[in-house]
Amino acid sequence: MKMTSDLSDIILHYGGFLLRGFVYVMMVTPAVIVVGASFTSGSLLSFPPEGFSLQWYERVWSSDQFMRAMGTSAYLAIAATVIALVIGLTGAFVLDRYRFPGRSMFQALMLSPIIIPMVVLALALLQFMSWIGINQTFAGLLFGHVLIMLPYVVRTLGTGLGLLNKTLEEASLNLGASPPTTLRRVTIPLLAPSIIAAGVFAFVTSFGNVTLSVFLASASTVTLPVQIFSFVESSYDPTVAAVSSIVIVITLVVILVIEKVVGVSRVVGK
Amino acid sequence: MKIIPQSSLTPLAGRRFWFAVLIAPSFLVLVTFLIIPFLGLARLSLLPGERAFDAEGVSAIQYGKLFVDGYFLSVLAETFALGAIVAVICAVLGFPVGYSLARLPARARRWRLIAVVLPLTLSLVVVVFGWMVVLGRTGVLNNMLMGMGLIDRPLRMVFNHGSVVFVLVQQFLPFMILSVMGVVSHVDTVLEEASANLGANRLTTFRRVILPIAAPGIVSGMLLVFILTISAFITPRLIGGSRVQMIGAVIYEQIVVLLNWPAGAAMSIILLLITIILLVSARAVSAILTGGRT
Repeated sequence: MKMTSDLSDIILHYGGFLLRGFVYVMMVTPAVIVVGASFTSGSLLSFPPEGFSLQWYERVWSSDQFMRAMGTSAYLAIAATVIALVIGLTGAFVLDRYRFPGRSMFQALMLSPIIIPMVVLALALLQFMSWIGINQTFAGLLFGHVLIMLPYVVRTLGTGLGLLNKTLEEASLNLGASPPTTLRRVTIPLLAPSIIAAGVFAFVTSFGNVTLSVFLASASTVTLPVQIFSFVESSYDPTVAAVSSIVIVITLVVILVIEKVVGVSRVVGK
Repeated sequence: MKIIPQSSLTPLAGRRFWFAVLIAPSFLVLVTFLIIPFLGLARLSLLPGERAFDAEGVSAIQYGKLFVDGYFLSVLAETFALGAIVAVICAVLGFPVGYSLARLPARARRWRLIAVVLPLTLSLVVVVFGWMVVLGRTGVLNNMLMGMGLIDRPLRMVFNHGSVVFVLVQQFLPFMILSVMGVVSHVDTVLEEASANLGANRLTTFRRVILPIAAPGIVSGMLLVFILTISAFITPRLIGGSRVQMIGAVIYEQIVVLLNWPAGAAMSIILLLITIILLVSARAVSAILTGGRT
């Protein structure tokens, strides 16, 4: 493609180049700084770090507070992911395979937690849970997290189901396999990449969530992001950087897994 | 009720039964944890007193109080102003990046896309903490500026509107970028090539071809960024401190600190209604932009 060149071309070309560079640097800066600062051998948060040491990671390892919070977060994220996958899979399947009255309403409701202001959603859940008496419990936190995962899970699995080659299912049925066998041996395996991508993305959505958890967590169910939040709100030292680095690494691994199995843009894109 | 199966895996025989079994989990969760809680929230906002416990009666007094509360109205105005500023900055920065991502070959796109998705996936509190380390009194930026001899005592970079806008832009920019990328990647490059072949320069091609193509993506991206910004509360609380008041942080305070649930509920309902009105009107705007195509 050849474009005629004049001054405005040159400005747009180099201006665009600089602007894009700025944006990419801006995107990764917080993560890079936090990981860098976590290796400091000094006692203050600084970047570039003074020397190199793993002392702050040891501090995290021996901190009851952080380890318990990490355990809670992991347990919560895994449980919520399993539930969200079951609900999302059946929901996405119904949306893909049936036409019924109220279908678009049903779809809009499934996707709505992504655009409802999180504070509002949190308060709605908080008052509901205290009304039925499960506030400050693990169950309340669990279903809150399931709800915020649903849009991503339904969208990822919905795209996967839409792209699935249905003639393969028909071949299986024509060859005499029953619908349950076909589902188990043909549909689910074909859908596996979408299920993995939806699952790991759901996991990290829950693992990193702070806005909802701040409202729904109690003293016995403090999640890691809530713990970081309450630390950062008062004062902070390199321990927070070390524990944050662990969150960054987990997040990065999840992104790479998604990129490997289905491509990132299928989960977060349109 | 007319239920029409769409594949051989969902046979016509017994379709009502299987349909009911399949829809049950999601239906129950949506009713129990979305619809009923929101009805409860609406009810809570109509309580007359300042406490929810054992309260009775229906009254619109919470809303009445809010609409004459100068502090609340100024917070609302400030929140909207910040939302608009963040949305515009995200559009200006996000459009070129989203557009170039859509046009890059898959291999070159991979790492750039991962860089864009990272802040979106990473825990918000970690992102904000990272910026606190950069912008703080003894932070990276202050140390750098002092090292270069540009300043001789640390500048106060947090606890003001500028830093809140900056951090919110960084958080929500990925939504803008992905929104533009999604729209542009569905459009063939042939239009831009035709424009170039016909002798248009970059500026003309940009103005007459690229911008109209990306317009729906920019509009929906800006809307999403605006909605996310007006409901933010972690960032204004940690980066803005007490100087930047946004509605999300005020709701959090009402609930967690002041324990005035009815007032917090009324504020939440107002925020929710504004969000819904925005979404509905944006759909109308984007229908006009795409000329009736969806």
